[in-house]
Amino acid sequence: MPRIPIVMPQLGESIAEATIVAFNIAVGEQVECDQDVIEVETQKAVMGVTSPCSGRVLEWSAEVQRSYAVGETLGFVECSEEEAHRLGLDGVVAEAGAMRESLPHGFSPLDAAAAHFMQVPSTSLGGVAPTLRGLPVPAHASGASFLSPRLKARMAELGLHAADLAGIAGSGAAGRLTIEDFEKFLSQLDQQHLSQASTMRVAVADAMRRSWTRPIATVGTPVVIDPLLAHRKASDPKPGPALYALRALAIALGENSALAGRLIGDKIVHPRSIDLGFAVEAEDGVLVPVLRRADVTPLKDLLVRYNELVDLARRRRLPADATGGSIATVTNFGTFGLEWATPIPLPEQTLVLGMGAGRVVPHWDAATSQFLPATEAHFTLSFDHRVLDGGGAGRLLTRIAQLLGNPAEL
Amino acid sequence: MQDLLTPHTFPDLITYLEAIREAQKQALEDDPRVYIYGQDIGNFGGAFKATKNLAQSFPGRVLDSPISEDAMVGSAIGAALQGMRPIIEMQFADFSTVGLNQIVNQAATMFWRTGLPCPITVRLPSGGTPGGGPFHSQNLEAIYAHYPGLVILTPATVEDAYSMLLEAVALDDPVVFCEHKYLYYHLKAESLPQEALPVGKARIARTGRDATVVTYSAMLHEALAAAEELSADGWEIEVIDLRSIKPLDTDTVLASVARTGRVLAVGEAWPWGGVTAEVLARIATEGFNLLDAPPMRLNSKDTPVPFHPNLWGTHRPTARTIAHALRDLLRL
Amino acid sequence: MLFPTHTAKKTAGGDGEGVFSVPPSNLALLSKNPCTQGTRLSKMSAMLQLAEAPRHLGKASDFIQTYRQAFQWMLLARVAEEKIASLYRSGKITGGVFLGKGQEAISVATGMALQEGDIFAPLIRDQAGRLAFGESLLDFTLTYLGARSGPMRGRDGNVHRGRPQEGLLPMISHLGAMVSVVNGMLLAHRFQGKTGTVGAASLGDGATSTGAFHESLNQAAVEKLPLILVVTNNQYAYSTPNDRQFACKDLVDKAIGYGIRGHSVDGTDLTDCLQVIGEAVADARSGKGPQLVVANNLRLAGHGEHDDSHYVSSHFKELALGRDCLEVAKEHLLKNDWADAAQLEAWTRNCLGQVEEAVAYSLREASPDPAQEDWCALATRHLAEGLPVHVR
Repeated sequence: MPRIPIVMPQLGESIAEATIVAFNIAVGEQVECDQDVIEVETQKAVMGVTSPCSGRVLEWSAEVQRSYAVGETLGFVECSEEEAHRLGLDGVVAEAGAMRESLPHGFSPLDAAAAHFMQVPSTSLGGVAPTLRGLPVPAHASGASFLSPRLKARMAELGLHAADLAGIAGSGAAGRLTIEDFEKFLSQLDQQHLSQASTMRVAVADAMRRSWTRPIATVGTPVVIDPLLAHRKASDPKPGPALYALRALAIALGENSALAGRLIGDKIVHPRSIDLGFAVEAEDGVLVPVLRRADVTPLKDLLVRYNELVDLARRRRLPADATGGSIATVTNFGTFGLEWATPIPLPEQTLVLGMGAGRVVPHWDAATSQFLPATEAHFTLSFDHRVLDGGGAGRLLTRIAQLLGNPAEL
Repeated sequence: MQDLLTPHTFPDLITYLEAIREAQKQALEDDPRVYIYGQDIGNFGGAFKATKNLAQSFPGRVLDSPISEDAMVGSAIGAALQGMRPIIEMQFADFSTVGLNQIVNQAATMFWRTGLPCPITVRLPSGGTPGGGPFHSQNLEAIYAHYPGLVILTPATVEDAYSMLLEAVALDDPVVFCEHKYLYYHLKAESLPQEALPVGKARIARTGRDATVVTYSAMLHEALAAAEELSADGWEIEVIDLRSIKPLDTDTVLASVARTGRVLAVGEAWPWGGVTAEVLARIATEGFNLLDAPPMRLNSKDTPVPFHPNLWGTHRPTARTIAHALRDLLRL
Repeated sequence: MLFPTHTAKKTAGGDGEGVFSVPPSNLALLSKNPCTQGTRLSKMSAMLQLAEAPRHLGKASDFIQTYRQAFQWMLLARVAEEKIASLYRSGKITGGVFLGKGQEAISVATGMALQEGDIFAPLIRDQAGRLAFGESLLDFTLTYLGARSGPMRGRDGNVHRGRPQEGLLPMISHLGAMVSVVNGMLLAHRFQGKTGTVGAASLGDGATSTGAFHESLNQAAVEKLPLILVVTNNQYAYSTPNDRQFACKDLVDKAIGYGIRGHSVDGTDLTDCLQVIGEAVADARSGKGPQLVVANNLRLAGHGEHDDSHYVSSHFKELALGRDCLEVAKEHLLKNDWADAAQLEAWTRNCLGQVEEAVAYSLREASPDPAQEDWCALATRHLAEGLPVHVR
């Protein structure tokens, strides 16, 4: 025979509980459906709790003068199968008490009363849709590359850049750098020897950081420079090797200046004039004096100005008209005894042409079918891969090598 | 008269509702200018019994009104202009929209227009309860907060229900007092407070270091339960009870976000605009650099409030959904 | 913080905490005019005997004096409003201008029947009643001209002015909304033990369709408040004629539904207005509960000066309803020899001079300065949001 619970009803909006005043029916007695069986009192009124069915009172689990929360079972009525079926009590309602108990105890202070009425599994309530979905951390932005506004503000306060934080392993979500990681890193730095970087070092660092935001690639080729050296030896005064490279680059770019163009959005910005810079080491950094319109000025005419600018640069006395506005740079890393390097173009330029130290290597001479000594230097071209591909850069470098083979024409 | 504070059902504890009743009793006792006007509040004691026995104890000062929300508020404004301190009980916050015009156009503008203060307190039994349905469950604080010239209070504790209602009556400005119906009987305290934070100051209800939940009214208790749940996993969630929606204590909120870097604003009201949006807007504009993750908010669903407890319990935020949102937020 | 003590609180606005900065009315300017001589009280003392028992007509000489006085207020209102309309058309006025032309008789009767301590909630066509109630002509010109020194300080304009601390309520635009405010003020008088005061509210035929009208009239009836609700049916609510506004035979019949007394009055006839309003006020004052007075007349101007009122049926203009109450009163004065043409001429000159002086004074007054404006909507300054800390 079904046992039908009698529960504390919700006797008014906001009512959480009610007190038992009296039981109108003794255990074992018969009750009719809808008959008042318990008298309860809320803060609002005294009211009757009715029996949900006809049958016999099995037990009262509640006590007089005690208060019970809405939904609590106060007792049971036993009724016939037919009665339970007729009243629709053979389904979920009889299990309501069990449902309530299945909720995590004490999980939500306010859910308790409502939980009695909830006939959905508690797990289905877990799905939550915040009013505005939080922006997810972008997939590519794990680790230190995702910096929160707070971290960025702290870095700005200290004058630090993302690159400065490259050495910190993030402990946050998706490997993100947290403010705690950052502060820990700073406190560790304090324990090491610190010296002030020069103004020039800071400026170079800034230029390199900006430049490094682009995809930079490098191509290189060996060039036999004996004709160049011979020409140089015969000249007076003698042009520096970098000037030959600069003039060759100028001529090549004069033939197709788009190669030195800059990509801004979906536009290629073409150079207005073939003004080329060349790197001069000075103190704690590098200066880049500029030779204007180098494509239309023969090498011998560039020479005086070149030597003058080298001297001024070393003394850090470059005039304003000799700095800035160049479209590419030549750097002779061979002066450091290096044969090969991948220089980084300046942030406002697409190309940097590098030349390594010459050395004598055996060179197959087809005419005499023997190896002959030849002086060879590696030339490299680093470029913004957004603007140029390997092919374009390679053809430009090959053209430069070709021009260097005939220095008298430069 | 019967001792209001010790009804036989709760021998030792004072409910949120009793605190409201006691504050009104106190105000009536202390200040002859105070009277209460509303539907069924006289001998019957109010639909929720917030004025139980007050009409008997203060004859002629706890008056039944006709079902005329506009005239209820309008007359309160007139009485206030003549030096009275009326308390208007709306039977449900939902019905206050019938009196909206008087609240927002007459009361809210009066001081600004004329220089004459308009000290009225409009009590709004707010928020959802199981079975309340679309027209007995609304949270309207954001609508009123939108209008200049009003003070909007949203007490979440028994202590605040008492102290803030007393302060509302004492303020020289029109106050919309949003008391939460769900808390009426569910919240209990051992005694009434002797002192309290002033209106306009938020309270840190729980301290933490990993994320901040900014909330108010009944959602405070859901948020505290969520914070408790997350503490089992080692998360320390700070929970701020705004207490008053307008003015909104931006300083306390920003100070907390500065400590945690993450924030979730939770409100039982609807999502569009509203208190959570205001809180997030202020954090984003004034405290963007404090954030480690996008600020997040959680509100009820953008539908009318449903009747059935199954739907109602899912319509509004709960401890469970707040905990879920917090876990999302902590992952960001 | 300890709780505020309620017993020690001052009366709202009583000593004002320094925030109440509405300038006082400038009566000095008007004192040279016989129309405005003396306070409202002294003016009313002559009036009251009549107002208390108009049907019994106290002394004939008192009534004549009252009638002459009422006429002068009507004349001043008409002259002042015509001047404002002219200023509007010369670009001196921002916002709307709303005239009470044709409605001065019912309005002045209401204003004159009230006394010190009473409440008056005028509507847009109550210039005559406002003056009779005691509002300074300067409040009118300063507000219309948007002067900083006016009672509304440039925050509200034209007909939206008042001094609630002196019983004159500033209307909001929502029709019917002022009536329950008057109820509340009267309720406060009851709480405070003030007896013998009444409150009058003006409405038009359109406002009778609002929920606020019903709620507030019912409320007044339930509380048996001494409210006089004066409904002036000028046949049009803006452009909407009566037959699109209500379907009852006569608006005064609505009184039955509220269980209060209704009075009908010919709004074009000053004698009738003085008598009926006087009686309604006397009834309210003597504890007979709310009174509904319905006056019939025709609006002789547009809804505002922006409106040419082409929709007004010429049929009305031919009826007695369409008469100009000021002309009717003038003829009545002349016919009964209560004033001669020279007297009328002198009164008119006087009104013109007075208005000219008030307008000139107001035009010289400073406009509100946004930099000096106190952008604070709360009396409790420290709770206002968005105020710089130093001005909280």
